[in-house]
Amino acid sequence: MTRHIIRKEFSDLVRDGRFRWCSLLVGALLLVSLGHGWVQARQAQQERAAAQATARDHWESQGEKNPHSAAHYGVYVFKPRLALSFVDEGVDPYTGTSVWLEAHRQNDFLLRPAQDATAAQRIGALTAAQVLQHLVPLLIILLTFGALAGERENGTLRQLLATGVGRRELAWGKALGISGALALLLVPAAAVGAAALVVGSPGPAASPFARGTVLAVVYLGYFGAFLALSLAVSAWARSGRTALVVLLAVWVVNGLVAPRVAVDLSKWLHPTPSAFEFARTVEREMATGVEDILPPDRAASTERLLREYGVESVDELPVNDVGVYLQESEEFGNRIFDRNYGALWDAFERQGAVHEALAVIAPLLAVRTLSMALAGTDVEQHRHFATAAEEYRRDVMRRMNGDMAANSPSGDFSYTAGRELWEATPPLSYAAPTLGWVLGNRALSLLVLGGWLVGTILAAAARVRRAEVG
Amino acid sequence: MQIPESPNGRAPLLEARGLSKRYGSTQALDSLDLAIEPGEVYCLLGPNGAGKTTTINLFLGFAAPTAGRALIAGLDVSTHDRETKERIAYIPEQVMLYRNLSGLENLEYFTALGGKGSPGRERLAEILVEAGLERDAVDRRVSGYSKGMRQKIGIAISIAKEADALLLDEPTSGLDPKASNEFSGLIERLRKRDVAVLMATHDLFRAKETGTRVGIMRYGRLVTEMSTDEIGHADLERIYLEHMHD
Repeated sequence: MTRHIIRKEFSDLVRDGRFRWCSLLVGALLLVSLGHGWVQARQAQQERAAAQATARDHWESQGEKNPHSAAHYGVYVFKPRLALSFVDEGVDPYTGTSVWLEAHRQNDFLLRPAQDATAAQRIGALTAAQVLQHLVPLLIILLTFGALAGERENGTLRQLLATGVGRRELAWGKALGISGALALLLVPAAAVGAAALVVGSPGPAASPFARGTVLAVVYLGYFGAFLALSLAVSAWARSGRTALVVLLAVWVVNGLVAPRVAVDLSKWLHPTPSAFEFARTVEREMATGVEDILPPDRAASTERLLREYGVESVDELPVNDVGVYLQESEEFGNRIFDRNYGALWDAFERQGAVHEALAVIAPLLAVRTLSMALAGTDVEQHRHFATAAEEYRRDVMRRMNGDMAANSPSGDFSYTAGRELWEATPPLSYAAPTLGWVLGNRALSLLVLGGWLVGTILAAAARVRRAEVG
Repeated sequence: MQIPESPNGRAPLLEARGLSKRYGSTQALDSLDLAIEPGEVYCLLGPNGAGKTTTINLFLGFAAPTAGRALIAGLDVSTHDRETKERIAYIPEQVMLYRNLSGLENLEYFTALGGKGSPGRERLAEILVEAGLERDAVDRRVSGYSKGMRQKIGIAISIAKEADALLLDEPTSGLDPKASNEFSGLIERLRKRDVAVLMATHDLFRAKETGTRVGIMRYGRLVTEMSTDEIGHADLERIYLEHMHD
């Protein structure tokens, strides 16, 4: 019996001009945004790979110079666009794509696409994630609000129930029929997404297909929750109009109000300094030290070396005391950076936790967090790369200062190294986080989204069972 | 509680035993006893609020009785929802159909939900014609159907379902005399097939023409009932009006 309801619901929807136009529009937007995102991500990744090669070439061909000068010369590293970033660009446009690694300083990321975007681009930018998170739920609402309320209003519910069909069978059949109609829209989009990964992944990622599969499951869960919620409201509402108004209010709260509230509340609970304040704090602490982190004393450092090697003067030292001192300065700076950047990242993480917790009132917050995480474009994965870049910077500095300390015992800066040292310094080798790491970080969002799905299904079952005939 | 005698001694298909329904302080139906056998058309007459639709809703299981039982083929509606509904068909005042589907597709859908299996598209198309629908209207979307055409689909649903009993709630209200007469003809054909019919109506003329028995309700009570063979149109009108005055 359910299959008859599914078939009727499906053909009824497919013949409905409103469905055809809405789904055509949403489907077109989804495909265009996927295609555009893929082209853009691929192009960006190619540009970054080329820029990274150029930066490496500059490093290796910088000529003969003192290693510490080479450390100041520095090197740029570019954050790769991960394979699924074409679906959801997440915070990438705001976090920057490149960082200059130099001595004594942990620099901020540069080249934020959002800074370069024109006002028109900001308004018109539409990603596949936005279509999936905002427009598909709206389409689900438009398809479902009348599922039971409309039948009741039209008088067909009495006739249907008089045939002996149960309310639960009816609701289940309708849910599957609507899902079938939605599949006409979503299956081609999923196929295009999978094909994009097969034809040419925009960038690296650990197990992109596994990530893509989980991403698809997450979005299906989100759509399932919206479908069940819409059915529950449709079963409860006296008229289709009431159901539509209630569901549109839910959509507005979910898509517009809750994200704004989450941003403001998380900033209020866990404030972060402005970029200017942050830079000033780091600068001040670098100059004077803070608490038990004090800047190294050049004289004390030299004194310690003399004692350590049992010699009377720096000329007798087997190492360059300046090189040693410079590395100590690096390590002091590292502690200051770790303290400040660590606090900043932790604040961002706590803000993210507020977003995840607030998903109990708006499933969008959970699905957005999961979508960015699986696409590799969330704050945590930016931090993952930033940490890798910083570790690499420290390794490069250690190598430069170490070479200077070991090979220029005379203590002056006339010592130079060449291409051999630059080439011996390996390029940054970055491995994107695994799927397990990503999901482990986002367990709360998974739990909340699962809760939404189960909760809305139970609500729909309860409301459908008590649905009035009219 | 008095169980009404079956005029021909046949087991009733539709039966109310002390059936009552109260909505808050309103007694919508008060101890209704009724038995309708195969081949009988029982017309319930009465003003708005008399309890006619409540009676039909109780037989459909859309409301639970406060007291008493509604039985279909001897089965209690409240405990045998599925089994009882397989035996009946229901035609409301306005048969509402799915605008985007054709008459045939609507019939296919409602028949399939009836649970007895579909007799096939060709047979269903024949049933539509048998119910009085023009052949060229069968495959047209029902968005362009008149009320009379939609009521015919309702009859077609009951024929296709091979229902033993028919519950009609003001089925001819708003139909023009010709369509109303055609509808009565269809009911008569179903009666001859031993279908038991319970029809709630305001239309005294149609009740006399179509019904085999008539019951008059007021304030939720069945105040009188009679065989239509025993009275003329004028008698029915007189009796009805007598009962409508305190």
